[in-house]
Order: sequence, then structure tokens, then C-alpha cells
Amino acid sequence: MLYGLIFLPMAAAPMLPLAGRRSKKLRNALAIATCAVVLGLAVLLLFLPEQTGALKGVAGLGLALETGGFRKVYLTVIAFLWLLTTLFGSEYFAHYQNTDRYYCCNLLTLGALNGVFSASDLFTALVFFEIMSFTSYVWVLQEETPAALRAANTYLAVAVIGGLVALMGLFLLWKTLGTTTISALYEAAAASDQKAVLYAAGGCVLFGFGAKAGMFPLHIWLPKAHPVAPAPASALLSGLLTKSGVFGVLVLSCDLFRDDPVWGTVVLTLGAITMLLGAVLALLSVDLKRTLACSSVSQIGFILTGIGTMGILGTENALAARGVLLHMVNHSLFKLVLFLAAGAVYCKLHKLNLNDIRGFGRKKPALLIPFLLAALGIGGFPLLNGYVSKTLLHEGIVEAIEHLAAHGGFALGMRAVEWVFLLSGGITVAYMTKLFVALFLEKHPTRQAEFDGMRAMNAQSAAALWIGALVLPVLGLTMNRSMNAIADFGTDFLHAAALEHAVRYLSWENLKGGLISIGIGFALYFGVVRTVLMGTESGVRVYRNRLPAWLDLEELLYRPLLLRWLPGLLYPVARLFGENRVTAPLCRGVLFGASAVAKVFGENRVSAPLCRGVLFGASAVAETFGENRVSAPLCRGVLFGASAVAETFGENRVSAPLCRALRRGAEVVSHAASDSLDAIVLLLRRTVFRDSVPKPDDRVQSALSYRAGAIADRRAIRRGVEEAGENRHALQQYRAQRALRQKSRRVTASFSFALLMLVLAVCAMFGYILFIR
Amino acid sequence: MNQVLLLSIVLLPLLGGVLLALMRRAEKRAADTAFLSVLALEAAAVTAYLCLPDATVRLFSMTDALTVSLASDGISRVFLAVGAYGFLLSGVYATRYMARGERQASFYGWMLFSLGALCGMDLSQNLITMYLFFEAATLLSMPLVLHDRTEESIRAALKYLFYSIAGAFLALLAIFVLGRFTTTLDFAAGGTLTADAAAHRTLLEIVVFLGVIGFGAKAGLYPLHGWLPTAHPVAPAPASAALSGIIAKAGVLAILRLVFYIVGADFLRGTWVQIAWMSLALLTVFMGSMMAYREDLFKKRLAYSSVSQISYVLVGLFTLTPSGVTGGILHVIFHACIKICLFLVAGSVIVNLEKTRVSDLVGVGKQMPITLFSFTIASLGLIGIPPASGFVSKWYLALGALDTGIPVLNWLVPIVLLVSALLTAGYLLPITIRGFFPGKDFSAPPKTDEGTAVMWLPIAILGAASLLLGVCSGPLVDWIFTLVAPLV
Repeated sequence: MLYGLIFLPMAAAPMLPLAGRRSKKLRNALAIATCAVVLGLAVLLLFLPEQTGALKGVAGLGLALETGGFRKVYLTVIAFLWLLTTLFGSEYFAHYQNTDRYYCCNLLTLGALNGVFSASDLFTALVFFEIMSFTSYVWVLQEETPAALRAANTYLAVAVIGGLVALMGLFLLWKTLGTTTISALYEAAAASDQKAVLYAAGGCVLFGFGAKAGMFPLHIWLPKAHPVAPAPASALLSGLLTKSGVFGVLVLSCDLFRDDPVWGTVVLTLGAITMLLGAVLALLSVDLKRTLACSSVSQIGFILTGIGTMGILGTENALAARGVLLHMVNHSLFKLVLFLAAGAVYCKLHKLNLNDIRGFGRKKPALLIPFLLAALGIGGFPLLNGYVSKTLLHEGIVEAIEHLAAHGGFALGMRAVEWVFLLSGGITVAYMTKLFVALFLEKHPTRQAEFDGMRAMNAQSAAALWIGALVLPVLGLTMNRSMNAIADFGTDFLHAAALEHAVRYLSWENLKGGLISIGIGFALYFGVVRTVLMGTESGVRVYRNRLPAWLDLEELLYRPLLLRWLPGLLYPVARLFGENRVTAPLCRGVLFGASAVAKVFGENRVSAPLCRGVLFGASAVAETFGENRVSAPLCRGVLFGASAVAETFGENRVSAPLCRALRRGAEVVSHAASDSLDAIVLLLRRTVFRDSVPKPDDRVQSALSYRAGAIADRRAIRRGVEEAGENRHALQQYRAQRALRQKSRRVTASFSFALLMLVLAVCAMFGYILFIR
Repeated sequence: MNQVLLLSIVLLPLLGGVLLALMRRAEKRAADTAFLSVLALEAAAVTAYLCLPDATVRLFSMTDALTVSLASDGISRVFLAVGAYGFLLSGVYATRYMARGERQASFYGWMLFSLGALCGMDLSQNLITMYLFFEAATLLSMPLVLHDRTEESIRAALKYLFYSIAGAFLALLAIFVLGRFTTTLDFAAGGTLTADAAAHRTLLEIVVFLGVIGFGAKAGLYPLHGWLPTAHPVAPAPASAALSGIIAKAGVLAILRLVFYIVGADFLRGTWVQIAWMSLALLTVFMGSMMAYREDLFKKRLAYSSVSQISYVLVGLFTLTPSGVTGGILHVIFHACIKICLFLVAGSVIVNLEKTRVSDLVGVGKQMPITLFSFTIASLGLIGIPPASGFVSKWYLALGALDTGIPVLNWLVPIVLLVSALLTAGYLLPITIRGFFPGKDFSAPPKTDEGTAVMWLPIAILGAASLLLGVCSGPLVDWIFTLVAPLV
């Protein structure tokens, strides 16, 4: 069943393009059916005991899967959202091109995302995480407009870089702890004494998963990717894929660094910045989907703040943990409804700028009610589900203030976080009001009548939107039952403490926080949005984008850094080595030195005098021997002595032939000595000593080929065949000869290099044999 | 029986090469048939050999100490399988690719000669035999680069020759010295150094260092990597594929044998030699990727990529740890599979679209969907995206580096590997992106043009293999760990 969740969609994915070639209806039905089956499996899983699975040997280490409480909840949420977006997609994609590939990647992503959430170790999570990144990449560039391609590249770059950095973290974790199994991380980390390495590893993994979650400063892909992606994809990207990043952050914070205040503070700080930054960006935006995307950044910030608070609270983290879990679920549900509603607008108008789409929602209750429910929910209005999770998060922060004050921590900082939290909540109300007023209350200056005549969407899409929207009040109204039940599912995974007492959500204490935010929100809306963020253009009040275009982290820093500065810095270094800028000059230097030496020898500057001297000496010696100036008298003396001896003894029958042979031998040796020297000299003259070739350019006219060509020219001119210049053949042939010579010189020069190497190696070898051995 | 098989693995391609050399004037069809049947027979022989027990064959003795003999072991099985199957697939592709040019028979002949020399190298029992076949492989594969007979290709071939020979002489020096300090030049796991070798440590370290640099010329290790980016772009695509995917691995094998079977890992662990090797290999990894990132010529980009990727293997070997060496050997297999695929894709692009520059490759995916899809899968493997194959090898490489315990290098290696992976994404993925997603305004060509199945099928097989080898890598990893265990 667990495998079915992952591999059923993956197996069904390739069939969709095949079906799509026949008929789009068949394909859509197949996709919806697959999602429905997955939802069925996920719901079934909710009621079954925990399951585990292992795929041994896959991707080297093998994959391990399990379904704990939290995972079950999220697997259900995933399947629910997927089914609704796929239902909605049938109408939305009717006029799109290349939709087969979208559908295929859609199901692949579903399988991979299920894999991430059911991974029981970080290695498995990363494997599925990477698959998910690559398949969802196709969503972003679906439209293939320049903006879409650019945003998709950003998305891919963030995914690839994030994945690689996370991989580095896993290397370190595996090396330090010997495991990446989530449930074993805490004990292994507690036993390890390499805290610094663990923080480095955790930082790397946080980078990778945080990038997907949209954590500051890696949130850059969200505001770019969402406006260009198709609306169902935006809903999934924002509602679920970002949560896979949060899943990783949860694993780090609740297992590896459980109850670690240092880690908690880091996550809290990043979360608070993300929360405020996203909210401000959303307030400034005048693009419907960009506003929602920035809102996602902000809401992820809320969740991260909650995770950080958990770390600070240590073992008293019950409220914060429940808040984190519920806000994850709630945010997924809100963004589903909001993005689908935005999709309904875009489907009809193909525009997203608030000034172009204002008034579209008038007289369309089918669109208005779901949007309103989600907007109120995300704003944290009581009796809707968002209120519950925000209240819990707020309570957690309040507890953390008390906790820090009691333990002598930096309570003032935590109080600042509380105000950032309330302020961000307020901004959320403000920008949702801005969207709602623009879409449903204001009138379009010129096209209002046309808008009023349009239908919002067809029945199937409306059903998807309404089902998604109705869940919100149902959860909100039954908060003490349904919300608590969901939260109970997740406490094991988050290692949350048990609740000390039931939370009274609607007590005055808790309502106060929500009401402060709502108050700030309306104040901001009327004080800022309607004044500063609007201007008058040809008599009509319009929304103005007050965010300077240049103020963009991606364009200002990341793109230049990665595409210009780093390569600009590193490429010369690589080139220095890659094109042998170091070794080649060195070799050239050696060759130059060698050729200079060879020239000294080749032009006889040393050897000729030397040889001449040696020759002279040798010939003198040879002459001495050859003309028997030494041996003859010697022999004669010996002979004389011998003959004297012989004569003394009788006839010369023994000594005379002997002496003759000796004399003959001496003659042969002396001749050989002089002849071999001659041979060596001759060889040297023929090879190394040979005269250098005269520079060809000085003697063009006298070159053989030139002359031969000139003859041909003359004949040609005489015959009147050639109309071209006189020296045509001559120059042609001369050039050919020169090219040939150059080529041969290059070849021989190269060969001499090899020869040099050979000689060096052989010399070294002999040196070794003679002296060392 | 085993001995006959062993001998026939080496002799079959060599005899086949002679046969094709005799068939210069034969029809193309006949040459194709002969070439493919020899390759198929060889692949079958290697497949049979993979399952049979070890054997030894002594061919002849030069002196008592210097014998030329063949033997089989686990490592030779890995390299033989890569070689035989890789040549088979590039050979099938070559029958179509080479159809447009001249002198196919001679090209086929040299392919077979190279394969024979490589098989001989894989099966060598001692350093002398291996050196013999190493030199033979250089000389016999040079004509593959030379095939086009243009001035450029002649220069490239000469460059290849001189780099390889210069490297081989450095290695020869090491062999001479090691002959004195080893009990035998036969390969034995853990090394064969004599007892008094430790007294001459400095000398031995220097010559072994030089020997590895020399063999590294074939594997594209800095500073003798220069031939790869010159030779690959001018060689025909199947030859580039074989050169980069398989023949360059001969350098890896030679280094593996020298370091682990003659000198022994224990002798070198923690010395300056190991640090110098790792630094050079790391430099090569980074340099190759960076050069590839900025290179516009498709095949040259792939050649620089090979420079980088083969040094991944070397980094793994130089860690001298079980994980690192395992990762290195895994990467030999995976990189061969991937790089042959990529070079064949480059060849298909040249043949079908007549484009050689990456910047011209817009909308290729619309014309050649299967080819580019395989390219994408293989690219993901090369980058190391899980669960594709490259990820698995890089995982073990990085763990091996972390296990060395050498300060700085132990964490610098994984970082450089990952930076290089990022650059790999930077030089491969844009081809896919611009190929499949050329933008809204791109007018699609009327029909797809992938060439015949003979061209796209090997590419598709290799692409699929690069993914499946990663997904089902468990048994392979375990087997290689058992091979590596006695070495380190």
C-alpha cells in the first residue's frame, strides 16, 4: 500500500502521454482516476497501523520507507490536493499546448512527493526530493514564454544547488553518525562529540530543504515561478512542494537538533525574517499570483518561526509543535483555494495584474465565497481553521518569552519576534483585503460589462474549488475535535510534549492576539494600501507597484554571482591549467634550451674545434701507429732482440712468423682506430653537423618549385591559355613546397621531443643501474 | 577450456582486425557484417568469461623474470565487460555513422585492434605484459584519431601519440626501478615490495609518483591531459566515444594495478605522494568542468567533461580507502556508459543536423526526441542526480575522501566534487533545456529526424542503462566492495 502511493502514480505517468495522443478526455479521466485511487489508499492508510518498507540496493544504499502519524496526515493532504487540482485542470488546460508532458510530470511529482513524506531516512528523502525537483521543473516552464523559461531556470538552479548542498550535508552526517535514519539521529547525535561538524552538516541540509521551502534568503524562486506556472501547478508548488522543504527542516529540528536552543534560534531568526519579508513583498505586489506567492513565503516563515520556537522551548513545546503541524496543513488548504481561484481568473482573462482584472469577481458568488473563506482563513479570523494554528503559534511564542525570562535568556528578542508575528499577521490581512477588494468589490473602468457576462468556470472546476473551500470552515467550526485530532497524529513525529491542559481557543487571551493582527491589518489597508500604494492615472485610481525594479536579490546578487563573478574568477584559473598555460611554457623553455644547446653543437661551435682537435690528435696518434713510428722500431727492436735470441738458439722458425703476425695486428688496430674516427666524423657531418637550410623567403626566385612553376607559367602564357598573372603556377607550387617543408619540420621537431624524452628516460635508467643499484 | 577462452578474448579482436585489414576493397556490407560479428562474438566470449572461474595462460618468456602471461581476476572482469559491451554498442552505431565517409573497413579494423590490445591489458598477469599491451593500445588506437586525414586530425593524432609515449616512458622508469625492489612483477593484491624497499622509500616514492603521472596521461590527469580536448573533436564520434569511455580507462586500470597490486596501498597511505596525487586529480576535476562550462564546441565540451570525470575515478583510487576505491571503480562503469551515450548523441547531431556547436542546438528535442531524452537521462547521471548512476558512485567517492583523514583534503574533495557537479549541470542541462523547450516562438520542424534505429537504439540502451545501473546498483556495489576488500 505504501509502495502503491509512490509507484502507482509513477507507473501511470508514462501512460498519460500515450492516452493523450488519442484523446485528451481519456487522458484527463485517467489522471483523475489515478489521483482518486491514491487518495483512497492514503485515507485507508490513516486507519491502518504504521507500515514500513525497504527497497534494498536502490541507488546504492537502498531506500527505507515508513508511515508514521504525521506522514499519514500529510500523505492524505497531498492526495486530496492533487485530486482537486487535477479536477480543476481539465478546464484550465483545455487551451494549453504540450499538456501531455505536464500531466506526465504531474503524476511523477506526486509519486516523488509521497516518497519524500514517507522516507524514513534522509537519504531516501533526498532521492525523492531530487526527482520531485526535476519533474516539477517542467510545470514552471509549461508556457515557454521568456519569463517562464527564465523563472524555470531559476527554479532549476535553486533545486540543483540546494540538492547538492544538502548532499554535502548528508556526506557529513553519514561520516559522523553512520546513519541518516530519522528516528536514530537524536541518539547518534547525542553520542557524538563532533558538534561543530554536526552543525555544518545541519546547515548544509537546511540550505537544501530551506531553499525548497522558500526560506530567506533562498525564497527567490517562489515570486518568479508562481506567476508563470499554470494555476493548478502553483497551488501544488506553494501548498505542497514547499512543505517537502519544511519536512526536511522538521527532521533536522525535531530529531538531529531536538531541544537545541542554538539551532532553534537560528531557525527562528530566519523564520521571522522570512515571515516579515514575504508579507511586505506581498503587500507591495500588484500581481494576483505574485501576491499569493509572496504570501506563501510569509506563511512558511510563520511555520519556521514555530519550529524555531520549539527548539527554544525544549521539552515544553506542545503548543508550538501543534501550531506548526496545523499551520502546515492549513496553509496547504488555503493556497489550494486561492491559487485555483486565481486560475479561474487567468483562465478567462489571461491577465494577472490587479488593474487589469479588477471587478472580474463581481456577481460571481461561485468564485467569491471560496475566495472569501480562504482569505479570512489565512488572515486568522476566528471560527476558521487558520485562527487555530495561528493562535497556537502565538501561544508558543508567548511561552517562549516566559521560558527565556525564567532561564535568563534573551526574552527581549523573543518579544520582538512576537511583534513581528503580529505585524506579519496584520500585513496578511491587509494584502488579502487588497486582493478581495480589487477582485470582487471594485469595478473595471472599461470592461466591467464584459466581465459581468463571463462565466467564472464550469461545473467540474467549481466543484473542485468548493470542495477545497468548504473544508476550511468545517475544520474551523469543529476545531476542538478535528483540529485536535490532526494535531494528535503529528505529535510523535515532532516529538512534542503532551498537552498539559486542553487549549481554549476562544478565550479572551487567545482572541486578543488575533484581533490585534486584524486591527493592524485594516489600519494598514486603509492607511497604506489605499493611499501610498495607489495613484491616479487618467482619472482612475490604480494600484501602483512601489517596489523598485532593481531591488531584486536574484538579479542583484545571485545571477551575477553565479553566472559572472564566480566563473569570471575561476575560469582564468582553470584555463591556466586546462590549456597548459603552466606546463606548455615550461616545456617550451626546456625545448628552447635544448635547441639552443643543439644549435651550439649543430653549428659546430663546440664540436667542430673539438672534433678537429681530437681528430688532429687522433690522426697524429694514428700516424704514429699507422706509419709504425712506434710499433715498427719497437717491433724491429723486439724482432732484433728475438732474432738475436733466435739466432742464438738457431734458426728463426718460431719467432719470425710470430713477430710478423704481431706487427700485422698492430697495423690493423691502428688503421681501424683512424678509420672509425673518420666514420664518426662523417656521421656527425651528415646528421647534426649538416648545414642549416637557408631561409626560404629570401630566395623565393631560386626555389626549385618556383622555377618549375615559372616554366609552367611561361608555357601557359605562350599558349595563351591563362588569363591570370604571370607567376601563378610558380607561387602556387612554391607555397605547396613551403607548406610541405613546414609540416615536415613540425613533425621532426615533435619527433625530436619524443627522442629527447626517450634519451632522458634511458639515461636515467642507466644512471640508476650504474650508480644506485 | 577457460584458458582457451582467455586467449580467444585477446586474439579474437586482433584476428578480426587483420581480417578487416584484408577486406579494404570489399563492399561496405561485407565489412559491416564481419565487424559486427567479431564484436558480437567478443561480447559473447566476455559474457561467458564473466561466469567462469579464474584461469592463467603463460604466452612466452622473454627471460626467466620477464614473462608475458594472461590471468583473470575480478577487476579484469569489470574492465573487460565495460570494454566489450561499450565497443559493441559504439560499433553498431559506427556502421551507420561511418557510412557517409570513406575507408570504413580500415576504421573497423583499427577499432578491433584497439579492443584486442585493451582486452590484453585487462587480462595481463604482470606489469610487463600490461606495459606491452598499454603501448600497443596507444599505437593501435592512434589511427582512430587520424581517420579523417585532415591536417588537424594528423596533428591531433601526433599529439595523442606523443603525450601517451612520454607518459609511458615515465611509467617505464617506474617499472625498471620497481623490478629491483619487488619480489615479482606479477600482480598480487597488497603489493609485492621486498623487505628492503622501506630503506629506499624516497626513491620509490618519486618513481611511483612519476609512473602514475605517466599512466595518467592516458586517463587525462593533469599535467598530461592536453591530448583529450584536441583528439576528441576531430575523431569520428564512435571513436571519440570509445576513446573517452573505454580507452582512457586503460590509464585508470594501469594506475590501479601499479598502486594496489605492485606497490601496495599501505606503503603509500599518508605520504606526500598520496596528497600530491589527490591534489592533482582534484585540480583536474575542477579544471575539466570549468573548461567544459565555457566551451562551445559540443564534442570538445564532452572531451573536457571526460577529463574531469575520469579524474573523479582517480580521486577515488588515490583516497586508498575501501569506499573511495569502490566509488572509483563504479564510476569507471557508469562514466563509460554515460560518456559513450553522450558522444554518440553528439555524433547523431552532427550527422542528422550538421551542427557542431552547442549554441546552435535549439529545438533539437523536437527533431530528435528519443536521442535528446536519452541524452537528458545520461546527463542527470553524470551530474549525480539521484537515483541515476553517477549519484551512487559520487556518494562512495565522497565518503572515501572523508575517510582518508587527511586534513583539508578530506572535506575539500567532497566540496570540489559538488562544485564540479554543479558545473556539470551548467554545461549539460542547457542543451536539454534549449533542446526540449526552445520557447514559444520556435517553429517546429516538419518531422522528426533521428536517423535509423541503428543510431538511436544504442543511445537509448546506454541512456536507460545509465539510469538502471543506478537504481539497481545494490548487488553491483556489494560485488565491487568484495573485489576491493583485499586491496586496501
